Amino acid sequence: MSDILLIAILAGLLAIDDRAGWQTLLGEPVFVAVPIGALLGTLDEALKVGVVLQLAWLSIGAARGTRRPNTVVGGVVGAGAASLVLSRGGDPRESIVIAAGVLMGLVAAEVGAMVARATGELRERWLGGFRLPEMPPHPYADASRKLAFTVIASALWVGLVDFVVVLLLLPLAARVTAMCGARLGADAAAGAVWWLVAVSAIGLAAIVRAFSTRVLVRFLALGVIATIAIGWLR
Amino acid sequence: MRLSRRDLRHVFTRLLFVQATLHRKGMQNVGVLHALDAAAPRLTRHPESVLARHTDHFNTNPNAAPIVVGGVLRIEEDGTQAALAALPRFKQAACSALAAMGDVLVVGGLKPLALTLAVVSAIYSFFAGLVAIVVLYNAALLGGRAWGLRFGYERGWGVVEAFTGPRVQRVVMLARSLAALAGGVLVGVIARRSFSEGTDHLAIAAAATAGAWLAMKRGVNVGRIAIVLFPLVIVIAMLVK
Repeated sequence: MSDILLIAILAGLLAIDDRAGWQTLLGEPVFVAVPIGALLGTLDEALKVGVVLQLAWLSIGAARGTRRPNTVVGGVVGAGAASLVLSRGGDPRESIVIAAGVLMGLVAAEVGAMVARATGELRERWLGGFRLPEMPPHPYADASRKLAFTVIASALWVGLVDFVVVLLLLPLAARVTAMCGARLGADAAAGAVWWLVAVSAIGLAAIVRAFSTRVLVRFLALGVIATIAIGWLR
Repeated sequence: MRLSRRDLRHVFTRLLFVQATLHRKGMQNVGVLHALDAAAPRLTRHPESVLARHTDHFNTNPNAAPIVVGGVLRIEEDGTQAALAALPRFKQAACSALAAMGDVLVVGGLKPLALTLAVVSAIYSFFAGLVAIVVLYNAALLGGRAWGLRFGYERGWGVVEAFTGPRVQRVVMLARSLAALAGGVLVGVIARRSFSEGTDHLAIAAAATAGAWLAMKRGVNVGRIAIVLFPLVIVIAMLVK
């Protein structure tokens, strides 16, 4: 339980960074996986979940205001669920646990986005009604205090929502992941690997789509050719 | 009174949380008011009049907001009636010019560049690379914002002109080209790894890339398709094996 609480607190802090702060990148799945994996002693496995989720959400050039899944919640729940299961049992069918973790991350991100939208409406109404106090009769310090309170409360609200969502979803996700690991056999493990390859391909499609303009496609092709050539030469 | 470096530092710190109060009606206006509040008492003996002029809608890329706020502070500092009357026009012109530039530079260039390199580092479990990417990305972002605030404060109205010139376009293009190159490296790494795992992996990766590309083109949520595909792929694998 203490691990889940710690992970939920981490999610709350990262949500503040991602949606109220300057977006340090630490809220992205590939980075979220590092502290979670380090906390539970499953760094490599958590990182595998983080990489696949990152590729699934590598939306390049998405405009501000675009409705995206809640990637902080998704990354935390995905890496957390797989790490919790693997740290307890060291499941031999690692690929199934990792695939189940990724699945839980994708589902949690959609649920997190729905919850954030619903709770965001309350925040919208509150912020929409913001007025500076009449000056005079109120002193200027009242306006300063009100502004500081509004910014801090609004940022904390964002963090609190994601904290609660992760606190509720993570135990559930860990249970489903453990069940997948226990019930599915070796044949399903091959399917899990195929699915992971397919989900990773979403990132490739996002890259190709974003950079397939007449100028940028040359740089894209250069990167592909150089990487493959260096790989063969080595 | 001219603002000191310390005053600008306070404004800069508050602007880091300009997104905290983002809302549909006024967008970033409360965050901007909070930042202006750090400097308003130093600009005039009537700081309430400064805040009262900026309660309206404010919307730009958060990384470009310091440039606009810097410009606003300069115009407020000059304090002539004509300049203050033109403030809404300045904010509108600067916000729209910088929003597009900030989106393309950060969201379309720097961020994908950092994330694709991070994924490549993570694939090879190269943790020093992950740390370096976070440090460099944040240094670029915070350095850019700090520079933007100073630049805006020095130039005032001049920022609109400065950010619509060809030099900015060249910087944006450079960032996008580097991101495309890093994207190519990531595609190459995944293609190589899929090839080394077997032709079935390569075929699945190619088919899934084409499918996801088509789905994205039609505006379909690819993540949801992936969720639905999970049980289907497991069942197929169990039947095939």
